Amino acid sequence: MAEEIIKLDDVSVTFQQKDKQVAAVKQVTLHVEQGDIYGIVGYSGAGKSTLVRVINLLQIPTAGRVEVNGKLLYQADGQQKKLIAAKSLRSERRKIGMIFQHFNLLNEQTIIDNVAFALKHSGLKEKQIEEKSHKLLKLVGLDSRATSYPSQLSGGQQQRVAIARALANDPEILISDEGTSALDPKNTIQILDLLKDLNQKLGLTVVLITHEMDAVKRIANKVAVMDGGRIIERGNLLDIFTHAKQQLTREFIGGGSLKAISILKKYQLGKLSADERIIQLTYVGNSVSEPILVKLYRDFNVEANIIYSNIEVLRGTPVGTLFVIIKGTSAGRIQALDYLQKQEVIITEIAEDELQEGETDNG
Amino acid sequence: MADLFAKYFPNVVYQGWTGDGGWLPAIGETLYMTFWSAIFGGVLGLIFGIGLVLTDEDGIAPNHTLFSIFDKVVSLFRAIPFIILLAFIAPFTKLLVGTQIGTTAALVPLSLGVFPFYARQVQVALKSVDHGIIEAAQSVGATFFDLVFDVYLRESRSELIRVTTVTLISLIGLTAMAGAIGAGGLGNMAIAYGYNRFANDTTFMATLLVLVLVMIVQLVGDVLAKAFNHKTAG
Ligand SMILES: Nc1ncnc2c1ncn2[C@@H]1O[C@H](COP(=O)(O)OP(=O)(O)OP(=O)(O)O)[C@@H](O)[C@H]1O
Ligand SMILES: [Mg+2]
Repeated sequence: MAEEIIKLDDVSVTFQQKDKQVAAVKQVTLHVEQGDIYGIVGYSGAGKSTLVRVINLLQIPTAGRVEVNGKLLYQADGQQKKLIAAKSLRSERRKIGMIFQHFNLLNEQTIIDNVAFALKHSGLKEKQIEEKSHKLLKLVGLDSRATSYPSQLSGGQQQRVAIARALANDPEILISDEGTSALDPKNTIQILDLLKDLNQKLGLTVVLITHEMDAVKRIANKVAVMDGGRIIERGNLLDIFTHAKQQLTREFIGGGSLKAISILKKYQLGKLSADERIIQLTYVGNSVSEPILVKLYRDFNVEANIIYSNIEVLRGTPVGTLFVIIKGTSAGRIQALDYLQKQEVIITEIAEDELQEGETDNG
Repeated sequence: MADLFAKYFPNVVYQGWTGDGGWLPAIGETLYMTFWSAIFGGVLGLIFGIGLVLTDEDGIAPNHTLFSIFDKVVSLFRAIPFIILLAFIAPFTKLLVGTQIGTTAALVPLSLGVFPFYARQVQVALKSVDHGIIEAAQSVGATFFDLVFDVYLRESRSELIRVTTVTLISLIGLTAMAGAIGAGGLGNMAIAYGYNRFANDTTFMATLLVLVLVMIVQLVGDVLAKAFNHKTAG
């Protein structure tokens, strides 16, 4: 198991406003392993930004424990709070790169100076700082624009400069707080692929906050879903994708299941006879297609009716989802499912009540 | 041409270029008062303006007590009308420069009169720096001084130039007022030699010169503000 590079334990953040308290993060535990690309999704106000800003103590928590890169940054034991010294915090922060939705570059300094700014206290000589800044700009493909000002670049280019700045001190971790939210689809993909590239080439650990599930599906290996200041579900991308337990997770992940279930509800397809079951089949990589379903009929005398199908790409691998109604004797159905399992198809049985509860909601 | 001028502006010509009541000393006094009170009031205003922003709740060194002190002092001095301030601090002026009349003595009330105005302007200018930029700088380990100089001051420098221009212009106005009570300069020329002696042409000329001064300041300010602004493309 890889080393845990970020360890947030029981972290809470409460904002004291004039007449009320806002609990933005509630006793969240989040461990990120070295080399992870950890996606954190959730609706606006869920507490995502507040949580990740705790990682480099841009936000000081009200309770809990924060350990990053093996250094204890914050610990609260009851009323006693231990905070890393300001000077050490600054040097720890340099090992945690961060990029933001609005890039946040220094407008009055050139691209190269923006990168060099991060190296001011690196102990390097002026000449070396300049060389390193150029090297970083090359890494993000913008060395030719070194003397431009941020306003002269496109959003995507500005974000690449921000990445160069974030990587200046060779951090182990890169946090992206909505780093692609202000970009068009093409630039979004470029930035995401750059992050993935850095993850693979440099072993960079990435924490990716976003409300665009597509970003997570494209590069993350793990995902956590936040709601109301808590992580309500987390796990490997594929597991979450196929076995999301929370309604909210399904809303985010999509994976067809939510859509399928709503279609089923709408057309009352959920009303099954005794020898029918609805199952969700998920397959990774190779495709499930007619032949398998034909085989179910031929070998086990089980009919399979496709009611919804969808294919998505997770981290570059196609993942298909089928919702089928299978009809046959109970023995036949068991054999059929066994067979499917051997084909490495992930099977999730959809309980009938899941299809009904929505109707009472509407009524 | 000169004859024509002498015909329509007899009193202006009468004042002469040099000597007591001459135009050059008047211009010189106005420039002198503007310059030095801009320096003293400017430094004071800058300190208070920066202090206000840094110690504010969302600043980089939040401190409620300090903020209140900065805030109260600035508000207090802003509340005192300048003409009353002139009289009010006369004893203090005497203590500081040995006299309470004359051009140099006027620097004390001028500096104190302009600093709260400038402090508020600086406060607004620094507040215009996006908090996200400050956070981004903090996230790469910027120190307190990096944040003050490379982020707050440098990012808002165009805005600072703009508010400095506004302040200078209002300061020129204040020097004219100080001039009215004997501090010399173009204000004194307009009142003492113009208005009081029914020499309307002198008043007119003094006004014109003040206007020219204001326009030069505005022009230079605009050019500099533009040159130091890279926030928008172009
Ligand atoms: N400085 C603050 N003072 C008071 N309340 C705050 C502060 N920062 C955040 N909050 C509150 O904390 C909650 C979580 O905010 P946060 O910014 O972490 O959400 P988010 O998940 O990042 O949302 P978004 O997707 O909109 O960025 C919100 O209710 C917000 O209003
Ligand atoms: Mg956010």
